[in-house]
Amino acid sequence: MVYAVEINNVHKRFKNVHALRGLSLNVERGITYGLLGPNGSGKTTLIRAIIGLLTPDSGEVRVLGTKMPNKAILSRIGYMTQQTALYDDLTVRQNVEFFAVVGGLNGDVRAAVDEAIALVDLTDRANSRVRELSGGMKQRCSLAVALVHHPDVLLLDEPTVGVDPQLRVQFWQHFRQLNAQGVTLIVSSHVMDEAERCDRLGFLRGGLLLAEGTASELRQRAGTATLEAAFLRFADAAVSSSQSPVASS
Amino acid sequence: MSTTRILTLARRVIQQLAADKRTIALILFVPLAVMTVAGILVRSQSSPLSIGLVLEDEGAVIPLGNRQVNLGQRLAESLGSVSDVIQIQVMPAAEARARLDAGELDAVITLPADFSARTVAARELTIPVEYEGSNPMAAQLLAGLLTRGAVQTLASLSVIGGATVTAPPVHLQETYRYGGAHFDTMDYLAPVFIGLFVFLFVFILTSVAFLRERAAGTLERLQATPIRRIEIVTGYMLGFALFALAQALIILGYTIFGLNVHYTGNLAVIFVVEFLLALMAVNLGIFFSTFARNEFQVVQFIPLVVVTQILLSGALWPVEEMPAWLQPVAWLMPLTHANRALRDVMIKGFDLIQIAPFVLALVAFASAFVVLAAQTVRRGVNT
Repeated sequence: MVYAVEINNVHKRFKNVHALRGLSLNVERGITYGLLGPNGSGKTTLIRAIIGLLTPDSGEVRVLGTKMPNKAILSRIGYMTQQTALYDDLTVRQNVEFFAVVGGLNGDVRAAVDEAIALVDLTDRANSRVRELSGGMKQRCSLAVALVHHPDVLLLDEPTVGVDPQLRVQFWQHFRQLNAQGVTLIVSSHVMDEAERCDRLGFLRGGLLLAEGTASELRQRAGTATLEAAFLRFADAAVSSSQSPVASS
Repeated sequence: MSTTRILTLARRVIQQLAADKRTIALILFVPLAVMTVAGILVRSQSSPLSIGLVLEDEGAVIPLGNRQVNLGQRLAESLGSVSDVIQIQVMPAAEARARLDAGELDAVITLPADFSARTVAARELTIPVEYEGSNPMAAQLLAGLLTRGAVQTLASLSVIGGATVTAPPVHLQETYRYGGAHFDTMDYLAPVFIGLFVFLFVFILTSVAFLRERAAGTLERLQATPIRRIEIVTGYMLGFALFALAQALIILGYTIFGLNVHYTGNLAVIFVVEFLLALMAVNLGIFFSTFARNEFQVVQFIPLVVVTQILLSGALWPVEEMPAWLQPVAWLMPLTHANRALRDVMIKGFDLIQIAPFVLALVAFASAFVVLAAQTVRRGVNT
């Protein structure tokens, strides 16, 4: 099986928003895939569909070959939400330990917890309560929680929002390490310069995949110097084509 | 002091309140609801105290006028007219005993065959009365009324006799089916408090904890793990139930040893009831947390969920004295069953089998709330 995540013609409509409109994309194993798009483009909805927190109205999502939503496969998926989503009253270690066990970690919990905390460089704050941590430390703790149970697929929803540049570099180092271990990462972002670091990128807008490829491929196809310009070029093209009846919902 | 700043702040407070429609609704509605219930209870015609009279008296000849008199019969008549608060029913001894055991009668007066004869001989009116005893206030009230009735009986006799004699002293020979003379109002209220605190605190703690879980996003994160909804609910129940039992232990210990409240029953049975109460409160908390956006709104549920329930639960007004149409409503409240079970154990010394109906009702409530809570865990997710 080549793909870690397969998304096939997924539609999802909320009360007044058509969040995903027939979106398809595949993510190969062991790479970092960047989901890029402005707010409201469907990034979070897509990530929640991948993890099975919502069921598509139509279409299919498969993770590691298993059709989602599926509870059992969740032990092989890690999820870092946009919010830090930690228990403020508990220490870093208690948080990581809790999600290690709940997340379905097999084997030595203690070692895995220590490892995850060390990875995000929080070893000396392991016994601090989360409420006492700075914003960046909370983000790091949140990442440790997402990966402590050794997932094969890691979904990161805007992991570097509000993270200072130094920490961002650290985060990307972690991501690369994980890729090297065979972990597939799907990272959403609206920061274009971050996208350069991804192996592959998907441009999202209005619940549709505008374009897909490596950063250089996308720049080349759009004929622009920056990814930002490339995104805007693809977006413009989509708007003009949506005048045609085909692309409407 | 800047008037502008103060006024601006006041305006902001009003704007915030006005933006929260439900708070406004609750502020207006809840006090009215609570006062309505309280009004109904306070003004309701309380049902009379039932006294079973076992009348075996064969009468005797009294020295004054040398006439045959049945004192028991006369006593029954004057007791029947002494007050609306008591209702006298004459019945055989076996029936009286059974109905007293079941708590249907508030007292049984047994007047033996030689009641009149003995009274004449001793020149003293001794009325053997056995109180049901679980409500010390009722026993106190009865004692007063019985004495009054007896005095009236004697007064009527002295008039018939045509001569004024010093009325012989009246003496109540009191025994208690449950409780005892040393039981006071606190003994009646304490079992209810023990249940109430567990229910109240567990309800508040769970609703706030679960609200935070939703707001902080940790619930979403939990949903992204293999854990199942029923596992989340069960885990919450277990965690809070342990806390609740620890709390119950402390409250119970203080009640018994610090406040000298009497108890006759098995303490283990009390913990069974407390445990069920805690389970219910956890699930109710999870359920209600769905409807609250913040801690303030959780607090607003307390008058609605807790205060109304306390009023209707028989904690202060016995359910049996409520208007007939309100009694079924009272039995819809989980606390009503818990209060009854706790009182039966602590005052009457009932065991688990004897309070089984109430315990089963609590189990049924708890199960229903588990389903309700497990359903609401899903809310906000998988939409």
